[in-house]
Amino acid sequence: MKRIWDKFVDSIKCDYQFRTGIIGLAFLLLIVVLGPVIATHDPYFYGPDSLAAPGEAGHLLGTNHMGQDIFSMLVYGVRTSLLVAITASMISGILGVVIGGIGGYFGGKIDVIVSEIINIFLMIPTFFLIMLIVSLFGSNIMNVMIVIGLTTWSSNAKLMRAQALSLRERTFVKSAIALGETKLQVLFKYILPNGIFPVVANTTRGMAGAILTEASLSFLGLGDPNIISWGQMIYQGKQQTSWWISTFSGIAIILTVIIFYMLGDGLNHVLNPKYKKGGK
Amino acid sequence: MEHILVVKNLSVTYVNKNRRVMAVRDVSFDIDKGDSLGIVGESGSGKSTLAMALLRLHPDGTKITGEAFFEGKNLLTISNEEMNDIRWTKIAVVFQKAMNSLSAVHRISEQIEDIYRVHCPQTSSEEIKKRALELLKLVNLPDRVYRLYPHEMSGGMLQRVAIAISLLHSPQLLIFDEATTALDVVTQGQILREIVEMEKTLSTTRIMITHDMSVVATTCNKVAVMYAGELMEFGLVKDVLTHPHHPYTQGLQGSFPSLKGENNILTSIPGFLPDLSKECKGCVFAPRCSHATERCFMEKPPMISVGETGGAACWLCEGEKYGK
Amino acid sequence: MTKFVLRRILSGILTVLIVFTMNFLLVKSAPGDPIRSLMGKETDDPALRAALEEKWGLNRPLHEQYFNYLENALRGDLGTSITYNRPVDQMIKERVAATLLLGLTALIIAFIVGTILGIFCARHDGSFLDSILSTSSYAADAMPSFWLGLMLIIIFATKLNLLPSHGMYDVRAGYTGLQYVLDVLSHLVLPCLTLVLITMPGYFRITKSSVLQVTNEDFITTMRATGMSERKIFNKYIFRNAILPTVTMLGISVAFLLTGVSLIEIVFSWPGIGSLTLTAITQRDYPTLMGIYLVMNLSVVVVMIITDILYAFLDPRIRYE
Repeated sequence: MKRIWDKFVDSIKCDYQFRTGIIGLAFLLLIVVLGPVIATHDPYFYGPDSLAAPGEAGHLLGTNHMGQDIFSMLVYGVRTSLLVAITASMISGILGVVIGGIGGYFGGKIDVIVSEIINIFLMIPTFFLIMLIVSLFGSNIMNVMIVIGLTTWSSNAKLMRAQALSLRERTFVKSAIALGETKLQVLFKYILPNGIFPVVANTTRGMAGAILTEASLSFLGLGDPNIISWGQMIYQGKQQTSWWISTFSGIAIILTVIIFYMLGDGLNHVLNPKYKKGGK
Repeated sequence: MEHILVVKNLSVTYVNKNRRVMAVRDVSFDIDKGDSLGIVGESGSGKSTLAMALLRLHPDGTKITGEAFFEGKNLLTISNEEMNDIRWTKIAVVFQKAMNSLSAVHRISEQIEDIYRVHCPQTSSEEIKKRALELLKLVNLPDRVYRLYPHEMSGGMLQRVAIAISLLHSPQLLIFDEATTALDVVTQGQILREIVEMEKTLSTTRIMITHDMSVVATTCNKVAVMYAGELMEFGLVKDVLTHPHHPYTQGLQGSFPSLKGENNILTSIPGFLPDLSKECKGCVFAPRCSHATERCFMEKPPMISVGETGGAACWLCEGEKYGK
Repeated sequence: MTKFVLRRILSGILTVLIVFTMNFLLVKSAPGDPIRSLMGKETDDPALRAALEEKWGLNRPLHEQYFNYLENALRGDLGTSITYNRPVDQMIKERVAATLLLGLTALIIAFIVGTILGIFCARHDGSFLDSILSTSSYAADAMPSFWLGLMLIIIFATKLNLLPSHGMYDVRAGYTGLQYVLDVLSHLVLPCLTLVLITMPGYFRITKSSVLQVTNEDFITTMRATGMSERKIFNKYIFRNAILPTVTMLGISVAFLLTGVSLIEIVFSWPGIGSLTLTAITQRDYPTLMGIYLVMNLSVVVVMIITDILYAFLDPRIRYE
């Protein structure tokens, strides 16, 4: 455990992207925890000052057409974005690892079928499919997260398959098989844990994608009306001419997405032994 | 005999943002027409840097001092135009990784035509093809190779193609930069034999850069031994290999034949390569030398003549007290 | 080569068929009742319902509906829109031109500008322009395209009142000839700019990194050693090798052109397929949705196959794999 921690500290020191990502993530988590303290108003409260400009009537970043405080909505919006990012990419990551791992490890006919399925899913315009499903099955946040997860696993699977393909040729896997462990045991004990690192990095980048997808859905009016989400705030801003409603929520999205990009790229450097240390 | 290349006090320093690496330091040697000189050393000894500097192919920002006279012209100071005129017509080079030394998306024929026309722009495709097929035959390749893409050939074939390409304009000086290192032993042996055979008909001078003493032994008549950017010893192959004067050369012999690869050369000599970013006061090899005296750490030994044509940069050779 | 093309085509057909089936099953298993929304909320007349079900074929068994739809789709008939009561394929055809106009214009500009900037910055790695572009390309990647569109509307249309922000031409003016062309162009500026800003960094980065990589390859050193001019080395050898990843990316962009443009169309009310999609979603217009999705998939598959074949011509290594 201590070794892992040392390595973690070492990575933070060495890789500037990983460091930025970790600090950013800590910052976001802090906002989630301290949300009620930081927020100046109840974001769900329809106040009397509708469309107040930033600074007006005690509203730091103004209000929307319903009189909700923009700043407080931004603070609570972090929760939605993180929830979507983590749930959706978890589903996508697990599906990718299992499907890709099975294909790459078992090989033969199973692999032919698996890689064909992966290729087909890589060819499908994902966002349109998500849009279609959400519009058909309802737009509550649970649906949105699951659908994003179910439609974006293909790139993870592709990575995992490649990992499994090379891992199964390695000596320690071969000796495990020779020692009589079953194929499934080998798959779960050796192949998946050892090949998972590139998928972890990719999944982190996928979190950024999930945030953007949720925002896009909300912008199309396909967001969950019962929660506060940055995408919906942009959507509300589109209906009104008040610039502040969409502007700040957009900036919040960009910053959050950049944090996850940094984290993903950083993890890629940290977990990839081939990557030279001290880059950029 | 007439000198074809005279190198005097050549130093090459790579300048990075925060590091200076003195890869080659104060190297002097000369080659006569028809000679075949082997430059031997482990990785980091500066042997490839030396070749790149002679061809002026070093990266931007590299500092080069000294002189390198080729047919009376200083290669390091002539204009780019003059240098380009010399390249390939008078000096040609064959690089290490044959697999990557040709463009993957162009046919061999196209690349040969382009390279040929750098110096003879008016030559027709038929003429170039005739010349190329002649050379391909010389390196024992069939005609059909001319129409192929690099990925359709084996490493050995590609290396032969690279040699054929280097001979397009019958250069006076050929430099082989680890040209056979990436190949398997059998192919390497074949190609080395072919090179020697080939030279009986062509009158070229050759520099063979390698980490492998056996390559030098079989294909060269002179040898220069480099360590940490400096010249340790030079002389006729038959002299140096049978009676090495410099302790480093003796150490090299201990690890010979070096089939294990470039980094295993010096396993028989304890210690590490010195830091090339620091100035070295005494002999660079002194920290690893079992014969080192106090003087070796304080004063840099000059090249001291040994035998009739050889020389060694070692205080022990002063007055021939040591070695035989 | 033939085998390679055949394999790609077969896999493409399979993709379309699977998407088609998935589509059909999704729409059929969705909750909600299209007849109900068609009839309006007030009436619940069983006779009217039966008549409508008969008309749209919703009362027949599932597999019959499936094969019926498949058969029609193969003939190019994608059914009839429930909301507009018009053939779906016709509606798509009417709007595809607007989408292509916007999408292709933006794509060509982004590709050319991005590639040129990428080459420039590869040759001047670490320069001022390079560091600005590299940083902003990271930000552009993180930016929701529709948000950027909105920001441009706020700046250039609402605040500065310089450019139109909605539609493809001024409906009231009724321009003709050159005036009409200029009007369309002025409407094109903002949506096109949005798309270019979002997609250009991709071309920039991929071109820059591949030029940098190829420049450091051994064969470039060989070419230099032959005395070949830097210009010739770049124009023929570096460019030809470095362009391969960019071509792949261009192919993918063309393939996903129809979907990529959708959100921007919606922001700028551009009368293309994206806007049609939005109305179809809000109206629960199943045949239209299915039709659009099928056309999108078909275009992805066809363009991908063409790209693969084109790529095989550019990269001789691919043909024999």
